[in-house]
Amino acid sequence: MDQFVVSLLNGCIYGLLLFMVSAGLTLIFGMMGVLNFAHASFYMLGAYFAFTLQPYTGFMGALLLAPVLVGVLGVVVERFFLRRVHQHGHAHELLLTFGLSFIIGELVKLFYGNYPVEYRVPASLDFAAFRIGELNYPFYRMLMGGVAIAMFVMIFLLLTRTRVGIVVRSAIYRPRMAEALGHNVPLVFMGVFGAGAALAGLAGAVAGAFYTTNPNMALELGVMVFVVVVVGGLGSLEGAMLSSLLIGLVTSFAVGIDRSLVDLLALVGLGGWAQGVGGLFTLKLSSLAATLPFALMLLVLLLRPSGLMGDKT
Amino acid sequence: MTPATPRLKPLRMAALAAAAALACAATQAAPLKIALVETLSGPAAPTGQLFRMSLRYSLDIINASGGWNGEPVQLMEYDNQGGPAGAADKVKAAIADGAHMIVQGAASSVAGQITEDVRKHNLRNPGKEVVFLNVGGEANEFVGEKCHYFHVRFSPYATLRMKALMGVMRAEKVMGDEVFAMNQNYSWGQDIEKATIEYGPSMGYKVVDKVLHDLNKVQDFSPYVAKIAASKADTVVTGNWGNDLLLLMKAAKSAGLKARFATTFLDQPGNIGNAGETALGHYVVHSFNAEAAGAAGEKYVNDIKAKTGQAPTFVMPHTINGMRLVGEALKATKAEAGNFSARAFIPALVAAKASTPLGDISIRAADHQVILPMVVSVVSKDAKYKVDGTDMGFKPVKVMSGPEAAAAVFDSCKMTKPS
Amino acid sequence: MTRGLGGAAARGIALPGLVAALAGLALLLALPVLLSASLLNAAIQMLIAALFACAFNLLCGQGGMLSFGHSAYFGVGVFATVHAMNALAGQGLLPTPLLPVVGALAGMVFGAIAGWFATQRTGTYFAMITLALAELVHALAPHIKGVFGGESGVSAMRMPAWGFSFGEGRHLYYMTLFWVLLALLLLYGYTRTPLGRLTLGLRENSHRLRFLGYNTHLLAVLVFTVSSMFSGLAGGLQAVNNELGNYVVFDANLSSSVVLNSYIGGVNMFLGPALGAALMTFFGLAVSDLTRSWLLYQGILFVVVMLFMPTGLAGLAQTWALARRRCGAQRLLPLVGAWLVALALLSLGTVFAIELLQQLFSTDYRAGVQAGAPWPAVRQFGRSWAPGAVTTWLVPLVLLATGTPLARWAGQRWAAALDADQGQDAPR
Repeated sequence: MDQFVVSLLNGCIYGLLLFMVSAGLTLIFGMMGVLNFAHASFYMLGAYFAFTLQPYTGFMGALLLAPVLVGVLGVVVERFFLRRVHQHGHAHELLLTFGLSFIIGELVKLFYGNYPVEYRVPASLDFAAFRIGELNYPFYRMLMGGVAIAMFVMIFLLLTRTRVGIVVRSAIYRPRMAEALGHNVPLVFMGVFGAGAALAGLAGAVAGAFYTTNPNMALELGVMVFVVVVVGGLGSLEGAMLSSLLIGLVTSFAVGIDRSLVDLLALVGLGGWAQGVGGLFTLKLSSLAATLPFALMLLVLLLRPSGLMGDKT
Repeated sequence: MTPATPRLKPLRMAALAAAAALACAATQAAPLKIALVETLSGPAAPTGQLFRMSLRYSLDIINASGGWNGEPVQLMEYDNQGGPAGAADKVKAAIADGAHMIVQGAASSVAGQITEDVRKHNLRNPGKEVVFLNVGGEANEFVGEKCHYFHVRFSPYATLRMKALMGVMRAEKVMGDEVFAMNQNYSWGQDIEKATIEYGPSMGYKVVDKVLHDLNKVQDFSPYVAKIAASKADTVVTGNWGNDLLLLMKAAKSAGLKARFATTFLDQPGNIGNAGETALGHYVVHSFNAEAAGAAGEKYVNDIKAKTGQAPTFVMPHTINGMRLVGEALKATKAEAGNFSARAFIPALVAAKASTPLGDISIRAADHQVILPMVVSVVSKDAKYKVDGTDMGFKPVKVMSGPEAAAAVFDSCKMTKPS
Repeated sequence: MTRGLGGAAARGIALPGLVAALAGLALLLALPVLLSASLLNAAIQMLIAALFACAFNLLCGQGGMLSFGHSAYFGVGVFATVHAMNALAGQGLLPTPLLPVVGALAGMVFGAIAGWFATQRTGTYFAMITLALAELVHALAPHIKGVFGGESGVSAMRMPAWGFSFGEGRHLYYMTLFWVLLALLLLYGYTRTPLGRLTLGLRENSHRLRFLGYNTHLLAVLVFTVSSMFSGLAGGLQAVNNELGNYVVFDANLSSSVVLNSYIGGVNMFLGPALGAALMTFFGLAVSDLTRSWLLYQGILFVVVMLFMPTGLAGLAQTWALARRRCGAQRLLPLVGAWLVALALLSLGTVFAIELLQQLFSTDYRAGVQAGAPWPAVRQFGRSWAPGAVTTWLVPLVLLATGTPLARWAGQRWAAALDADQGQDAPR
């Protein structure tokens, strides 16, 4: 029972972390049709900026300032890079962001070195919230989850209850019409891209202290974020929340399951044969825990490509 | 910081390359050329850079005592672009540029490519063989089915590390009776898991549970930590490196897991700095600990630090020591018709002995594996040498001499001497 | 619009183009005599990359389906060929020179299956499916040791055949050249068949094709299969060359590099991707040994090409041909000269700055810095530069500051020249 509760909590928190990073990505895609490969790089930059600022502004100050810096960078990227290639089609935008992710990664390595940096949770926040069974549950994890939920609520309210939100949403669905009505759509694009980048930066600043902050952060989280966004539905915020929780829980629970196809086939009496064949059949689910999201993504793409909560196009 | 050894950068202009090739063929007293085909860029670059530093340092010493055949030994550096395909290209380039030896350490996948390329080159070009000095690549197969005559290993391997680690921790009674094997799901991790289980009966501990997780994909180790806690193991034995090790330890610490960690790569630069106090009390098995080597160790460390800017840790000591063996062997290798002959060098290398601050090392003839002393250390604030700018370091627990630490030769290694 | 430009340019470069092609062929045949062994090996890798890029472009540039996981079919070709090498030992059915056929067959079969699933969706979703498939294969491969070998892969040995030992670079080069030329010829021939035309139709307007009665899904699967077949062939060639198959070939790196190579070369022209792949492969091989920051330069190159040369290098050739027809070479050559000078200035400035920064921030340099003392000098381009001196920073600044306005000026004059002649030459 303890195992179950721990897996549940862990899965939720990991899922919320994924949500923090993918929220911005799904908004950007929904708005501009650009699959931003540099999004995970913004996540990494958030962590590195926070690490750099921490000695001067303290941990909380770094958490507030780093996302702003990343947001500004996002605005610059949109204004000077993406806008130029917009006319050539989605493939070019995609490849541009891909090239940018390379550049950002290499620049980080150039300035900060190849090894992980010492960006750690400050001692004041590093305590246990409660105990489950024999293990502590760290408070910082709950904080991460709290930040993610707050982010979700804030964005949701912003998009649905404010004037700015209405303009943004109309620019997502009917950019030409919104422009014709006199709204500055390019400015909205810039703002959304910057906001999305800032969200990723905040996720990086918060998570980088808990996990490691190294130049390969972007690669590690990057593909998972895409899986989340695709499964949830490109452009849907609620879908991103749902799919990130789903993926977090699946990954977390799979670790505890030591069964493989052999056990499944044993139910119909083919267990011995499957064991003899080996290879794919004897692969335990727990070893595949990090691979399952891809299988999920494939399944969703084949059965319901618009994602769990995306619009049916 | 920059060594005096002339470095031959591969020339990319066709005409110049042709001219150089002609010129090289014309000279009689040909210098020895050692090519480093290493991962110098990309994610694994930090480790590759350490190998490069170690090699430069070692060759400076060899050249300071006269080089080989009256000429300084030349170092050629190639970046394998992070993968086996790039390594294959650079090996061909190195051999075309006249390399007599190829050195590589980071990543077993690259080592696998290089050793096979060298073996096939030697089969096709008898009399012009190339030697592969494997200073990393610790998967068991390199002393098993992939061993061959012109391949020599200077680093420990999975079984060797486990024998030393488990043996010492058991003898010092810090292991407990129940062990959890946590490893990455690829040949290295699988080898470590197998070795951990293998030594259980003879050393008297039980492996209560084991996990093979995806390599470099897991961000959140807390489910695994929960599994460890559920198994009630006293020690977690892991071959994890890089992020997989750091995240595992951090997750364990934040969950308040009481189990001890017995690792193979905790001494990688940056680990202690990043983990902080989380690392205290955990064990590592490695090939060198300066504190255990006393005054000789201090001299060794200071010299290396002065010349490379990096204290010798992780992969540097066994690489530098292995190159000492090469230096000794080179003194005993005569040129044949003015040129380097791998067939004359290998027996000299197998017969050579070198002294290191922790004891003597030599090459075993059966599988060309180095017999080297192994040390088990614990992370502590009492250590003499602090690492990563923290107040912690590795305090030696026990040193096993070369012969003590050596594990049996694998049956799968069938080495045939060429006629 | 692009095709119109291409048509006008094509007529303008038809005969010189043919002469150029023949000269290129002669050069390729003569390469083993001209190049050193290591450069010859680089040429082999460039040929293989060029073939892979052209096979990819069939799907992407011509079929309009951007695939992000094409390395899967290349990798399948590699492993099939390696296992065939081990099983057949170069005798009997398949002597060494014919082994890449196994790769092609494997690529075809796997591509047909994968393509059937992937082509059920279009656009971004198609790209995501191909990515997911490739990632799945990449994640599962390390676990299936029997097929993919462990971390050090599956190794094989080339056997002599037909009187050649295939141990030297020359034999390998000619074998690779033969296969690549044959494949390129077949691919070009494909574009001339009705199926090739329908492929273009898929890109332009698949809706309309459906209304004309064609089964677009089947069509897309066919295109996918042909593309993956040639990708498998390229994989087979690499397997015969390197005699090793390692599961790192399924990495996202290879998938993304083929996409980037194709776009850098230009997806609108048939040989564009081949050009891009050849150049970028050479760039990687050459520059990786010259500097530690070569990945950064590669990234910058990608971004610059995407921003300023969206039709790629081949598109650049087309633009030049068209502009020359309109304005005449005399007017444009000075501008081209200005472009080149600006490019040289900007490149030099960027490289200088990056190399300087890289050295200043590297660990061995930082270890040598003592507090209070002036920072030690950095060696670059054969001279010493002190980080404290103003001149050290002035050099890249001046280079960049002169290169940028020059480039802008050249761009403005170019656009003005084209506009001025708008009325004289009726646009297509």
